[in-house]
Amino acid sequence: MENIIELKNLRKVYRIGEEKVIALDDVSLSIKKGEFCCLLGTSGSGKSTMLNLMAGLEKPTKGTIRIKGQAIEKMSEKKLAKFRQEHLGFVFQSYNLLPMLTALENVSMPLTFKGLSKSVRDKKARDMLKAVGLETHIKHKPSQMSGGQQQRVGIARAFVAMPEIVFADEPTGNLDSRTTKEVMGLITEMARENNQTLVIVTHDLEIAGYADRIVHILDGNIEKIDIINARRVSNEEADNIISGADAVPAGV
Amino acid sequence: MNKRDIIRLAFKNFMRRKTRSILTILGVLIGTSAIVVMLSLGIGMNESFRRQLSSMGSLNVIDVNPWYFIEDGRGGGYSGQNVLDDKAVAKIAAIEGVEAVTPFLQTGLRLVSGKYVMYANIMGVDPNALEAFGYKTAKGRMLTEDDTTALLFGSNTPYDFYNPRARNNYGGGYVYFGGYMGDGVERPEPDVDVLNDKLVLTFDFSYGERRPGGTGGSEGGNKKPKLYKVKGVGILEESQDERAYSIFMNIEYLKKIMKENERAQGSMGPRPGGSQQEGYSQVKVKVTDMNNVQKVQDQIKEMGYGAYSLTDVLKSMQETSATMQAVLGGIGAISLFVAAIGITNTMVMSIYERTREIGVMKVLGCMLGDIRNLFLIEAAIIGFFGGLLGLGFSYGASALLNRFAGGLFGGGYYYGPSQDSIVSLIPAWLALLALGFATLVGIISGFMPARRAMKLSALEAIKTE
Repeated sequence: MENIIELKNLRKVYRIGEEKVIALDDVSLSIKKGEFCCLLGTSGSGKSTMLNLMAGLEKPTKGTIRIKGQAIEKMSEKKLAKFRQEHLGFVFQSYNLLPMLTALENVSMPLTFKGLSKSVRDKKARDMLKAVGLETHIKHKPSQMSGGQQQRVGIARAFVAMPEIVFADEPTGNLDSRTTKEVMGLITEMARENNQTLVIVTHDLEIAGYADRIVHILDGNIEKIDIINARRVSNEEADNIISGADAVPAGV
Repeated sequence: MNKRDIIRLAFKNFMRRKTRSILTILGVLIGTSAIVVMLSLGIGMNESFRRQLSSMGSLNVIDVNPWYFIEDGRGGGYSGQNVLDDKAVAKIAAIEGVEAVTPFLQTGLRLVSGKYVMYANIMGVDPNALEAFGYKTAKGRMLTEDDTTALLFGSNTPYDFYNPRARNNYGGGYVYFGGYMGDGVERPEPDVDVLNDKLVLTFDFSYGERRPGGTGGSEGGNKKPKLYKVKGVGILEESQDERAYSIFMNIEYLKKIMKENERAQGSMGPRPGGSQQEGYSQVKVKVTDMNNVQKVQDQIKEMGYGAYSLTDVLKSMQETSATMQAVLGGIGAISLFVAAIGITNTMVMSIYERTREIGVMKVLGCMLGDIRNLFLIEAAIIGFFGGLLGLGFSYGASALLNRFAGGLFGGGYYYGPSQDSIVSLIPAWLALLALGFATLVGIISGFMPARRAMKLSALEAIKTE
């Protein structure tokens, strides 16, 4: 299967006053369509920067980012907005639901941006809320829901427009361990169901355990890559594993 | 995003901070009302000028006289007289925008009915033109082209008959002259029923007077002026101009009897009021559109005649009120300007509050233009509702002013305060303009904040701190 995301020699340097901070040194990575890739690292390792670069929220100092063959770093703001609208979904650590909108309205927001009619998007959003188990909370405002519930609304929102890629930045960072399991289960299941590519940024090893591949990031470089499910990932090593010996089971 | 969704979302945002939104709206309300009420005072003033003037006569009528005056540009000039004859009348009638023209041939004659007599200010006019000049009868009918001996009485003239042989022989006439207005006192019926009684017109001014050594009307010796039997056909509606004091008849017939009289009197010289050889003393011109009056008037002046209309008066009045309006409107504009700053402030505040939301929307793929429009529309909503409420407030204030401040301004430049005096007037165009303007002010005030929202970095906005 083709690579949906390709990063080549990516470098990002922040200038803080006189000092230069190297967030990403020289990173190359390919992610396959349908892969669940986890970027694992401590705070300040550069994992979030990587995600931001992939989503086009920041421009790299050097290197190229290709998503679906398109050079993200060269796109204008306007094109990026359109691109995100059509191909990307986001789940945030602090949910980031709009407080004045109901769960239903929050979920249907990406569809609203696309300009779909109210009846169409309401139906899709309703189905989505049902899928995350919140059909009883359709009319609730974010302030009337628990953290877990809010994040489920967030997940519904990320998947409602059927994007090919979903980015999640510490999606369970604000949740307790039981809710974390629920939420991670939900995200994984949804992405698998439609063969969507999932890129999660976390510092939590347990969460990384859900992924097909774990990319360890340290001081702006890829330290090592753990392949858990070789069939789904894009990696030379994985190819070797698959072609070399099918007998090797997943997990290293 | 489609437009309806943007408006819906803008409304939701607008309703979030109710107190702040209401206070901002209050600012716009005050600004709008200030402008509208101030302008309405000026408009009311203009309108009451106009009403006063039109009660004095029609605004699109030009009076033409034979006298011209040409300025030399150094404060002086020279004047002279041109003959205002039928040729001139035809020429004036041909000017573009002229609806009707009639010459006025004025002469004084004696009108007699039985023992009553009066001095009649006779106006020879073109019967066809009367209606165009706004002549309306209260009783009887108008003059027609075929009329000869028919008389149309000004509303005051029937009261001018008096009995020269009675002791207080002016009793019937001049008591009411000029004093009849507004008192609400019913006038007694005049002594002569001009529409039914027999009437006689004569050039003999001593006809019917008590004379030493003889009975009235039977003086021997000199050739007596001829008596013309005439008939009253109508009485005009009351008015406050010269019409009320004149009696109208067909100009052709008047010319005829004046000529006859001249021939008969031969040696006595021309009659006062002018014979037709000298032209007419006055020609009235009606212009179709009030706005053309000035143009037509200028053309007539170029032809070498004097021209005057109430527009001249109106113009100077309007200049005065325009100055006043500019000053008052300026005061109002300042308060609307302050309100505009209030809108900008509110919008900047809410953008600070919503930095994160704006970022989220951007990350989720909201188009930049949509974000800008969202805030522009929110600002427009503030402007619109502020304007709408301000307009409501203005109508209230205007009604109160008209009710309680009627005697303070306006109403009564020429006559005492009249019941329909207007202090403040808000025409529909002003209301719509104010509403549009308030909305526009909202949009303009929201422009800078909206741009700022659009340019917010999505990354900064969603950073988890």
